[in-house]
Amino acid sequence: MAEETLLTDEFLRQLINVGEVDIVVGLSTHNHAKTIGPVVGAIQAGILKCFPRERVAIINADGGSQDGTTELVKNASIDDLWRDSKVYALRTLHCISVRYARVPDPSRALQTILAGADLLRAKACVIVSPDSTTIQPDWIQRLARPAYSDNFDLVCPIYQRQQFEGALVRNLLYPMTRSIYGSRIREPYGSEFAISGRLVTDFLGNGIMNHDWARMGPEIALTILAITGKYRVCQSCLGAKNHSMRNAHDMVGVMRRTVGALFASLDGNFSFWSAVNGSEAVPMLGTQAELPPETARINRKRLLEMFAGGVAQLEPVLRSILSPSLLSELQRIAALGLNDFEYPAELWTKTVFEFAASYHKSTINRDHILQSLVPLYRGRSLTFLSQNRNGSGDNLETHEESLCADFERLKPYLLEHWAERK
Amino acid sequence: MSLKLEAGWYKHAIIYQVHVRTFSDANGDGIGDFAGLAQRLDYVQELGVNAIWLMPFFPSPLRDDGYDIADYRSVHPSYGTLEDFKSFLSIAHDRGIRVIIEMVLNHTSDQHPWFQESRSSKDNPKRDWYVWSDADSKYRGTRIIFLDTEMSNWAWDPVSKSYYWHRFFSHKPDLNYDNPAVQEAMWDVMKFWLEMGIDGFRLDAVPYLIEREGTNCENLPETHAIVRELRKRVDEQFPGAMLLAEANQWPADLRPYFGNGDEFHMAFHFPLMPRMFMGLRLEDRKPITEILQQTPEIPPSCQWCLFLRNHDELTLEMVTDIERDYMYDIYARDKTMRLNLGIRRRLAPLLDNDRRRIELMNGMLMSLPGTPIIYYGDEIGMGDNIYLGDRNGVRTPMQWSGGWNGGFSSADPERLYSPPILNPVYGYQAVNVLSQKRTPHSLLSWMQHILEIRRSTPVFGSGTIEFLYPANHRILAYVRQLGKETILVVNNLSSAAQSVELDLRRYKGNILIEMFGRNIFPRIGDLPYFLTMGPYQFFWFRLRKI
Repeated sequence: MAEETLLTDEFLRQLINVGEVDIVVGLSTHNHAKTIGPVVGAIQAGILKCFPRERVAIINADGGSQDGTTELVKNASIDDLWRDSKVYALRTLHCISVRYARVPDPSRALQTILAGADLLRAKACVIVSPDSTTIQPDWIQRLARPAYSDNFDLVCPIYQRQQFEGALVRNLLYPMTRSIYGSRIREPYGSEFAISGRLVTDFLGNGIMNHDWARMGPEIALTILAITGKYRVCQSCLGAKNHSMRNAHDMVGVMRRTVGALFASLDGNFSFWSAVNGSEAVPMLGTQAELPPETARINRKRLLEMFAGGVAQLEPVLRSILSPSLLSELQRIAALGLNDFEYPAELWTKTVFEFAASYHKSTINRDHILQSLVPLYRGRSLTFLSQNRNGSGDNLETHEESLCADFERLKPYLLEHWAERK
Repeated sequence: MSLKLEAGWYKHAIIYQVHVRTFSDANGDGIGDFAGLAQRLDYVQELGVNAIWLMPFFPSPLRDDGYDIADYRSVHPSYGTLEDFKSFLSIAHDRGIRVIIEMVLNHTSDQHPWFQESRSSKDNPKRDWYVWSDADSKYRGTRIIFLDTEMSNWAWDPVSKSYYWHRFFSHKPDLNYDNPAVQEAMWDVMKFWLEMGIDGFRLDAVPYLIEREGTNCENLPETHAIVRELRKRVDEQFPGAMLLAEANQWPADLRPYFGNGDEFHMAFHFPLMPRMFMGLRLEDRKPITEILQQTPEIPPSCQWCLFLRNHDELTLEMVTDIERDYMYDIYARDKTMRLNLGIRRRLAPLLDNDRRRIELMNGMLMSLPGTPIIYYGDEIGMGDNIYLGDRNGVRTPMQWSGGWNGGFSSADPERLYSPPILNPVYGYQAVNVLSQKRTPHSLLSWMQHILEIRRSTPVFGSGTIEFLYPANHRILAYVRQLGKETILVVNNLSSAAQSVELDLRRYKGNILIEMFGRNIFPRIGDLPYFLTMGPYQFFWFRLRKI
């Protein structure tokens, strides 16, 4: 039983006091004192406004905060002595906190929260990022309601993004997940999402978290489990999402947790994804207003230098990963000037697929494969930014859809390389 | 015979609320009467209560079940005579049962001779005994209480061609307490009954005695002055007699009705009752502890009156909108069950006839600070009939046996003042006193037992209360204390078994004695006291240091 190893006696004692609940809201934290207050406040307001009658508990899994994060969460409890002249609470709201480890481990944090939700027999579990400072109270309803009332098992977010935000999601994670697994989930790696009680139980019990890749990217593992397990998935429009700068400079780390997990997931799910043709729309709840265009200051020259430098310096490595013709094409575009540079969608798609195939085959160390993808992604980002620099939201959508179409169309290319390299 | 009126007797009373009409019919006319009630006093005594509160039994057109009084100094002919009342009073006192009667101060029936005189002419000496106006625009800040039936607090009187003021039904005009003659007349009425030997009054609709422009016409200082004067006269002339306020108000607004111990002896705690039902369904003690924390201290000689159900709807006036919506959805999904701002249902149907919940609610009623009131029939789990009009569905004949008319009356069933409950679950053939008396584990037997335990100690009536706040919010735990006697009460509001850790370190060394079975529980030590409790289970522990 997964929960036997996840639940400390202290956590168990707190869960006993909470008792059965309808909804759990989970927060995985590590030194988030600066942002956690407004986040918890929004969660609390969302619960009181949209779920005043339901039994709700906030579970905080903390990875060893030293800045008082856990106290801030626990203080948001609504108990007998709670007084707030502006808000009325019908029932008790427990906010409990458990230190699951001395160092942060997103996988263990998520498992701890889900184990708690499972023990409390929650019908829905909402996960919220502790640094989502743009969170609004109604996010809780938008995420929880479909799982709690409408029988959906996984509720993925759709964020309102500025046109230059989310390049990795737009250029790789979304199109690849869509073409591989056949579901058009815009944010397969969202930091806010909700899951049903039965998916929680399945996730904890089916052993998926025994895989390294799932521990590397537990959120994407959950999404893939929902798709491959034929669970009901929907997407809910949330709104603008700020993006933490914590990991902004750690592109390799991000690549490991997201792309790495996605690539690794292909091994065990080959029989599923190899049979998938095309993709299906996933229900979208709510509407998304377009954000006004933002002028971004981007150092395009630097991006090109990173791409060209990477292709040159990593040539021996790339030779182990990519086919000669594709590498040659990359070397050709690396030589282009800034104004002429373009990393076409088809070339990018083939690049990603060859990387995925090499990752599968472990032609070289898998971590090196992922690291080698980073400079190439910079090049694709440059094209993405150039294409959309003066465009509207519709234009962005068109380019995105076109890229997805390429990923779907070229899926046989992946299968070919997958088999060939085996 | 009069019982010796010991000061503070009401603090240790257990009150049984009865309507003469509904309890027992001795003369076979289909309507309960005082002779019938007197015959049933053995039952009341055996139940274990020591006071009876009678609903209005005065002559009345009965358009509001007797709360529309047409003569304050007599008995409605359907219920017997004044002599019958005196006889009943004497028998009750012989059994140690005190009698509290209803006194409707605020208004009369429009059939009362006072009103008939008052409306007859603008020059009549009693004209100023009621509140008249040429326009219906005065006191606009006053809420309408009976929202389902009344559009205004003013009614047009075609006889005197004026508007008269009424806070309740339009056939119940409000008396004008700015007129000293009215105050004297009502005191004379009270004196009439006190001299006969009754032990106290439940004073109806107290907050509304006085009207003032620019106010909500409730709880005004002048109203308190009138109450203080009545209390003064009662204390001087009938020491020991008790005044109980019916004031459906928030605790902070209720507190002034105790004054400095010089207004009412007791007042109903209206806001607590719906929150007990709420706490039970939410499985959360918060509504209960919250309202009790907001309840101010009252003078030592005063007491709260607690109840689960009574002759009215389960009133939801003293709850927030969100709480009212919740209560309606949970307890009155069928809109027929709703009336005014409340729910017209009895205790057992409200609790889905779940014996465990009925016991738990009665356990809390008996152990929270105050004097408990049991509504007739709830001690056997009687049902209701929501299809009878107004609040008549909770005023059906008492179910004494499974025989003819449930043992209530020998009249033809068609002649009864109200159809008895007949359905297979709550009907008199299934739920009645006779059958429950024969079963040691019936609800009636259980009620007798809990009342016996309640009476065994003065702690519940006079002791202090201190809430424990265990982390498990489904557990409502408190310590009642009086002198050296300490009782720990632990209630599981949940439908599932629960464990709880209680911080009882300050009572270290005491052993716990469970009061129902008198079994000994482990001694309190330094560690949190650990209890496991079944669904809706409650414990009363007497703490003893041996």
